[in-house]
Amino acid sequence: MLEVENIEAGYGPIRALDGVSLHVAAGELVAIIGANGAGKTTLLMAISGVVPIRSGQVRFEGRPVTGLAPHEIVRLGIGHSPEGRRIFPRLSVRENLELGGFTRSDRAEMRRDIDEVCGLFPVLGSRMGQMGGTLSGGEQQMLALGRALVGRPRLLLLDEPSLGLAPLVVAKIFEVIAGLSARGIAVVLVEQNARAALKLASRGYVLETGRITLSGSGTELAHDHRVRDAYLGEG
Amino acid sequence: MTSTPTNQQQPNAGATGWAGIRAFVRERWDLVTLVVLAVAPLVVPALGGALGGQVTTLFIYCILALGLNVMVGYTGLVHLGIASFFGIGAYLMAILTVPMYPFQIGFLAATIVSVLATAGIGLALGAPTLRLRGDYLAIVTLGFGEVVKVTLRNLEQITGGMKGLNPVPPPGAGVKIAGIDLGLAFAIDPRWFYYLSLLALAGVVVAMRRLEQSRLGRAWVAVREDELAASAMGISATRVKLSAFAMSSAVAGLAGCLYAASLSTTADPNAYDFNRSIMVLCAVILGGLGSIPGTILGVAILVGFDTVLAPWADSWIQQMNINPSGSSLLSFSGWRLAIFGLALVLVMRYRPEGLVPSRRLAAELHEDHA
Repeated sequence: MLEVENIEAGYGPIRALDGVSLHVAAGELVAIIGANGAGKTTLLMAISGVVPIRSGQVRFEGRPVTGLAPHEIVRLGIGHSPEGRRIFPRLSVRENLELGGFTRSDRAEMRRDIDEVCGLFPVLGSRMGQMGGTLSGGEQQMLALGRALVGRPRLLLLDEPSLGLAPLVVAKIFEVIAGLSARGIAVVLVEQNARAALKLASRGYVLETGRITLSGSGTELAHDHRVRDAYLGEG
Repeated sequence: MTSTPTNQQQPNAGATGWAGIRAFVRERWDLVTLVVLAVAPLVVPALGGALGGQVTTLFIYCILALGLNVMVGYTGLVHLGIASFFGIGAYLMAILTVPMYPFQIGFLAATIVSVLATAGIGLALGAPTLRLRGDYLAIVTLGFGEVVKVTLRNLEQITGGMKGLNPVPPPGAGVKIAGIDLGLAFAIDPRWFYYLSLLALAGVVVAMRRLEQSRLGRAWVAVREDELAASAMGISATRVKLSAFAMSSAVAGLAGCLYAASLSTTADPNAYDFNRSIMVLCAVILGGLGSIPGTILGVAILVGFDTVLAPWADSWIQQMNINPSGSSLLSFSGWRLAIFGLALVLVMRYRPEGLVPSRRLAAELHEDHA
């Protein structure tokens, strides 16, 4: 469904991605782990068109998307929940969710999807009129995830959904992420919490200074001694 | 806004009595204000004189400020040159109607052409400045305003230089209804322009309300809040900002058309200078960024002081012979800038979200109380 071929991207003289290739099958959950500054966020932003790709090719459902603007890529079915949640602080929870469906014209069905998100995260349902910025960190992350889902992506890019959250909230978020595959949504999950990410993922990639250094199934990677030393704190 | 007593002359809202009327006023203050303003000229004779013209100017500035509010309030783009679009609208109206030019297409057609043209000029200014935000955009719009002013002044063959263009004919000149020349009616009784600009203002308010609720309005706010997140929602920040530029400019252009027609001249280019832009911006900030009632109240206070209250108080001072030496220290007009400054300082200190805040900004600035 998604093929990334040998892409390079960066900021000014800095090359953040140095020939990265990966692929994601329909409905698959793929984790990308790596240290700070490895290029994980840049990789997601390159796929979603926020950071321009200097060379290489990204194809989504067989169609090249390299060079398209971010809003055009969203319309093709790639949702992006950026790092730091990026909810709209001065808009209500409901307005945030409605903006998630900005590209949709079927308002009635969008309302149903919003209700469904509230089913997944009941706390959002009870705060519909509240400003996004007044939610707690965990609730904001739920809102960010819910907002991305209202856009009905077929592929969802998730950047650090567990960052700075309490363990109970992380468990709740990961539970919902795990359920996405069952709904046919493919996920690329970027996580610092490598253990939880690899447990959830069918496959994973290890990104180091802009290159993929390892890849394999989630369990393979979780048992690989290099991964255990570097990312699972078991060295 | 006017000296009309408030709701006594309202048609009774039913058998619910005084409390019912008060609840109705609170609920539909917009309708009540409109009715009061619509009835005022019939019961306040002064509105048939100079005061009528001053209040008309106030309505026109409300339209201008609502246009500016699209960019500054909804979309969060700083614009320090809105008066230039006001001026372009006024000059286009003049060029298309004054006798010295061959066009003379009449008020309505000239308004439509000018509004479309100012929208286009707004787009032309917006396109190259799209990547600028904050201070940088402020500088570009400020520079644009100065360029327009100097151009209007120096392009004498077209714009008449410091004399401006006149006479701009009133709307409906030559159109006869029941034997009365409509243009003549406009020229003689300021209440015609009062009603015309009130109608235009009401139309702009209705349009702005619908825009706030529309997809485009939501997109403006989303881009203001977080451009990256907005693009992750499938919103094209480029298109959304350009549309804000175009809408702002078009509404300012409409205000300019009404202004030139109501004064029957474009006045000189200094009428559209930086000070004018700042005054309108101050009114929007004072009233409440992104808030329609706030913007109107801000204009009523700042511009109302400038064009209605200060001249009135000055003529009173003159009549009472309090200030025989003519010292500017004893005139209201002499103190206007000091009073503007003080008003803004006080508002920023005690009500940073403006007098009638939009729901959103209030939430942002008083997060600690929420």
